[in-house]
Amino acid sequence: MSGRKEDALSSPQPTPRGPLVRVFAVLRRIPVAVSVVLVGVPLLVAVLGPLVPHDVKPGMPYAADGVLGTDGLGRDVFGLLLVGGRTALGMAFGAVVLAYLVGGVIGLVAASTRHRWLDELLIRPLDVLLPLPSLLVISVVAVGWRASALAITVAVAMVNVPTVARLVRAAALDAASSPVVEALRMQRESWVTIQLGYVGRAVLGPVAADIGTRITLAVFLVASVNFLGLGLSPTAPDWAVSISRNREGLLLQPWSVLAPALLLVAFTLGFNLLADRLVHRTRRPAEVTA
Amino acid sequence: MRSYAAGRAALAVVQLAVLSVLVFALTSLLPGDAADLRFTETLSPEQVERLREQLGLDQPAAERFGHWFGQVLTGDLGTSLISGGPVVDIVRDSVGATLVLTIATLAIVVPLAVALGILMGTRENGRLDRTITSITLALSAIPDFVIAVVLVAVFSLKLGWLPATWIGGDLLTSPVLLVLPVAVLLGRTVCLLSRQVRAGTINTLNADYITQARRLGVPRRRLLFRHVLPNAAVPGVQELARTGDTLLGGVLVVEAIFAIPGFATALVDAVETRDLPVVQALTLVLAVAALLLNLLADLTCNRLVPRSALLK
Repeated sequence: MSGRKEDALSSPQPTPRGPLVRVFAVLRRIPVAVSVVLVGVPLLVAVLGPLVPHDVKPGMPYAADGVLGTDGLGRDVFGLLLVGGRTALGMAFGAVVLAYLVGGVIGLVAASTRHRWLDELLIRPLDVLLPLPSLLVISVVAVGWRASALAITVAVAMVNVPTVARLVRAAALDAASSPVVEALRMQRESWVTIQLGYVGRAVLGPVAADIGTRITLAVFLVASVNFLGLGLSPTAPDWAVSISRNREGLLLQPWSVLAPALLLVAFTLGFNLLADRLVHRTRRPAEVTA
Repeated sequence: MRSYAAGRAALAVVQLAVLSVLVFALTSLLPGDAADLRFTETLSPEQVERLREQLGLDQPAAERFGHWFGQVLTGDLGTSLISGGPVVDIVRDSVGATLVLTIATLAIVVPLAVALGILMGTRENGRLDRTITSITLALSAIPDFVIAVVLVAVFSLKLGWLPATWIGGDLLTSPVLLVLPVAVLLGRTVCLLSRQVRAGTINTLNADYITQARRLGVPRRRLLFRHVLPNAAVPGVQELARTGDTLLGGVLVVEAIFAIPGFATALVDAVETRDLPVVQALTLVLAVAALLLNLLADLTCNRLVPRSALLK
């Protein structure tokens, strides 16, 4: 549609040209680099941090020793940052991967099956689970498996399975009903070739966009659980746990809270920006035809 | 329309039944029960066994579920293992603060998000749209608890303008208690919701029937409120039901930070002390609330745009 760029309510107007427009044009080009840096820094800290040797000997609480001072337990904040990312980001990544392994398979099978009952059998139960508040499920799990990173990761994954399955199913159905698949079928291509060769690839676009937003959501969820004390033990070096533990000392020693908070926010913000671009790129054509 | 409502309500009943089984199953699957958790250090194995018998924990799961479900249906949620009082009291005492918090937040979120969403949607890719989009995108990337921690530090600890906790405060005499918690809850919900309304508005504005209406000379205001808004609201209303999830997460965090004696605090406490009857009851109540919210959202969408039932 041609009228997309203008104010869609009034008649098309000539686009304003001026210095501000040029500034925006420049600004719009920055985010890719910026968001890569935003995502990259926390990711590097999380992955390489534990390998960097650092002083773990506790000192005075909220002192100005070391690069970023110490926290409420007298631990070096910089040292905590280096080891805290593994759980903060790792649990979220693990959960999303697991959610896609389970939900993705359910969605693909439901979409590609020729038996309606199998589709119903796979998707209906998920409809029942969909409205369950995620933190609720996790707190129930937390009753039994306290401080277990694995249990929390699995719980976060399970919470995401229904949405992932539905998304993958919808995307796959979309692709499976296209003329291309019709043509492939008429050429007597095998089921596997059609599913993996065409449908699977067509699903990748929406999936990539969804993974972007889902990872930030998972990071949020994991962080909230840990912040609330339902997840990891209160002395764990995790970023969210550090924020929770040191929040009273924010004014005494701001870095003990702000440093892990900044890393978390940088990561989610960067991922949001990347996902937003991806969504725009993949959804645009669909929106126009819808 | 009526048959859609009936079908959707039937689904909700099924969901409810499955949910109660799930809640029970999840909580009884947990390793270790109340009897051996609380007393293994002080009691001999025989005493633990007797306690288990007393609590009815030695019976098969199906029987325990039947017993529990029968009680729930009659409004009896059981007895707390920690306080020894009825769970219903805990639910009643904690629900008020949470309701006030949620309703106050929603009362601001909904109008604000709809206004922002329409504002952005009608100016797609304009300067205003891009500015607000960037702000909402950035804001929605900040976890609730980070916002809360920073706001408390600045406005309570540093400036001393607003109370940092609800301890010793009474909501009726000092409504100012609500300011910081609601501000924290607003952040992400407004962002998520307004983005959905924006997307809905843009999609609707590009629809053929809007082009046609414009061609027929329907006045701008009428076009916006009569034709665009109902259709644009659909993703918004659905998002609102999902916002319930975000909101609940936010409420948990906010209640923990501001020491608000609400539902979430009760839940976290019960999880910490492994007070299973309380966890079961609170989980059930919250799950039912979430279900009803979803039901309401779907029915509203169907009412706004009857064909949305077909699209599902």
